[in-house]
Amino acid sequence: MNENKIVELATEQALVLDCGKSLKSFKTAYTTYGKLNDAKDNAILICHALTGDQYVASNHPITKKEGWWSYIVGPEKPIDTNKFFVVCPNVIGGCMGSTGPKEINSETGKVYGTDFPVITIADMVRAQKLLIDYLGIEKIFCVTGGSMGGMLVLEWLSKFPEMVHSAIPIATATNHSAQNIALNELARQSIMADPNWNSGNYYNSDNKPLKGLSVARMAAHISYLSKDALHSKFGRNLQDKSSLDYSFDADFQIESYLRHQGFTFVDRFDANSYLYITRAMDYFDVSSSNDGSLIESFKNTISKVLCISFTSDWLYPTSENKKIVKVFNTLGINVSFIEIETDGGHDSFLLEEPNLFEAMQGFIKSTYENL
Amino acid sequence: MSLINEKKDFRIIADLIPAKSSVIDVGCNDGSLLEFLKEEKDINGRGMEIDQQKVQLCLSKGISVIEGDADLDLYDYPDNLFDYSILTYTLQATKSPKNVLSELVRISSKAIISFPNFGHWKIATSLLINRKMPISEKLSYSWHETPNLHFCTINDFIDLCEEAGIRIEKQANLKTNKLNEFYGKNLLYSYFNEVGLFLVSKIKN
Repeated sequence: MNENKIVELATEQALVLDCGKSLKSFKTAYTTYGKLNDAKDNAILICHALTGDQYVASNHPITKKEGWWSYIVGPEKPIDTNKFFVVCPNVIGGCMGSTGPKEINSETGKVYGTDFPVITIADMVRAQKLLIDYLGIEKIFCVTGGSMGGMLVLEWLSKFPEMVHSAIPIATATNHSAQNIALNELARQSIMADPNWNSGNYYNSDNKPLKGLSVARMAAHISYLSKDALHSKFGRNLQDKSSLDYSFDADFQIESYLRHQGFTFVDRFDANSYLYITRAMDYFDVSSSNDGSLIESFKNTISKVLCISFTSDWLYPTSENKKIVKVFNTLGINVSFIEIETDGGHDSFLLEEPNLFEAMQGFIKSTYENL
Repeated sequence: MSLINEKKDFRIIADLIPAKSSVIDVGCNDGSLLEFLKEEKDINGRGMEIDQQKVQLCLSKGISVIEGDADLDLYDYPDNLFDYSILTYTLQATKSPKNVLSELVRISSKAIISFPNFGHWKIATSLLINRKMPISEKLSYSWHETPNLHFCTINDFIDLCEEAGIRIEKQANLKTNKLNEFYGKNLLYSYFNEVGLFLVSKIKN
């Protein structure tokens, strides 16, 4: 019951996007685990991060690695697949089967490339809502996700408050800071600086912008780790050598590690998708449709919420997560907050972090029992 | 909180709170007081707790809890968000008891405060005779390892409330298990109560 599925949505009425364009009959690729019960009250929606996908708890078809959140999702895990019906869609704009820049535009019969409309986090959520409708779920028991996934969670809470019983936004923010945008711009520029990018038209070429995408991934990867973790893992250790080479080879272990991260990433990710999704994150401000008022944006939220941050996360630091908590407190929303101490950096939500496991399990279990 | 007779304390606190009130328990420990009040008075409860393991316990019980510090995180709440705030056995461990008290009566209509009374006769006598910081069942730490930064007596607390523009409405006698109107300092009360428990509110200008 966990194989990849693809559904065509908005077949009758097109999905109108924030940019003004619309998508008709777009595809959403998704995985499900567990069974929707008769009361249809046990659905959990998992929103993936920038480079995540629908393979949340099953082996990835390209990397063959286990699902990106196998630590959290599975039998007897916090998101218990024996108990819950878990849905994890690939976002639109993505590259694992959902409609995005590398897919065929049904209207022209050609690959979208950069003709794909610029999408937003709100667009992704509107698309997810169509999937939830298609699956016959009126109220989702819990929506969760980290990083960009957390932004989708916040958007759900703001735009479809009556459809969300509970939510766990993790290591996220209500909008992208200048620093966040700067880092994404660095990534985009490295992709676009690769001559193989060719203004986004590389799908029929043998030469793809792998170098640019790889550098983008390297830059991003640094931002996912903490200084302390980098230091304790690599220090200034040399890679397979005892002295400096006086060259530009990967002398240091950290260089070699980053290069490896970059090289392996390009096998599973599309450069144009990277541009589109980082753009969506930069444009994200959950309050933008309410003149910047977070209070207005969440005034109808009735869900029970658990916000989680990590001490060493400098990309979406505790202060950004606490902003969400403050707004929810002000509105009297049933909000809990926990800051997990770890040197794992932003990536902590993807790591085997026992305190994350315990907090999610405690919250999900007790919330479902009190449903 | 394990230092005081919890059930007795809980009962008196429950008696002070009308049904269906919104309540924040600052320093809520494992959430047992909030659970008790939910059961007894069907309150809409929130917790704040500095110790992460206790936060985890609260989460597993379905209690909405913020991992936070009374000295730093009460500022994040708007005025009069709650009907009641509760601070049991925590005041003496805060960096700034005065600010914490002022914040509590700002974010809630009324606050319930309890703390160990350093003016209790046993403590006073122990100090007088032994010339050492008292260690008792209720004050079990040595002076150099205690988390308690600001011990006070019941009379000190009364003075602080006056200084901070806070009105004391009721005081509880945990010995007799009674709630009394507050009429000012009372020698017997401050001498014979190991714990001071008060219902306070902000003096409106």
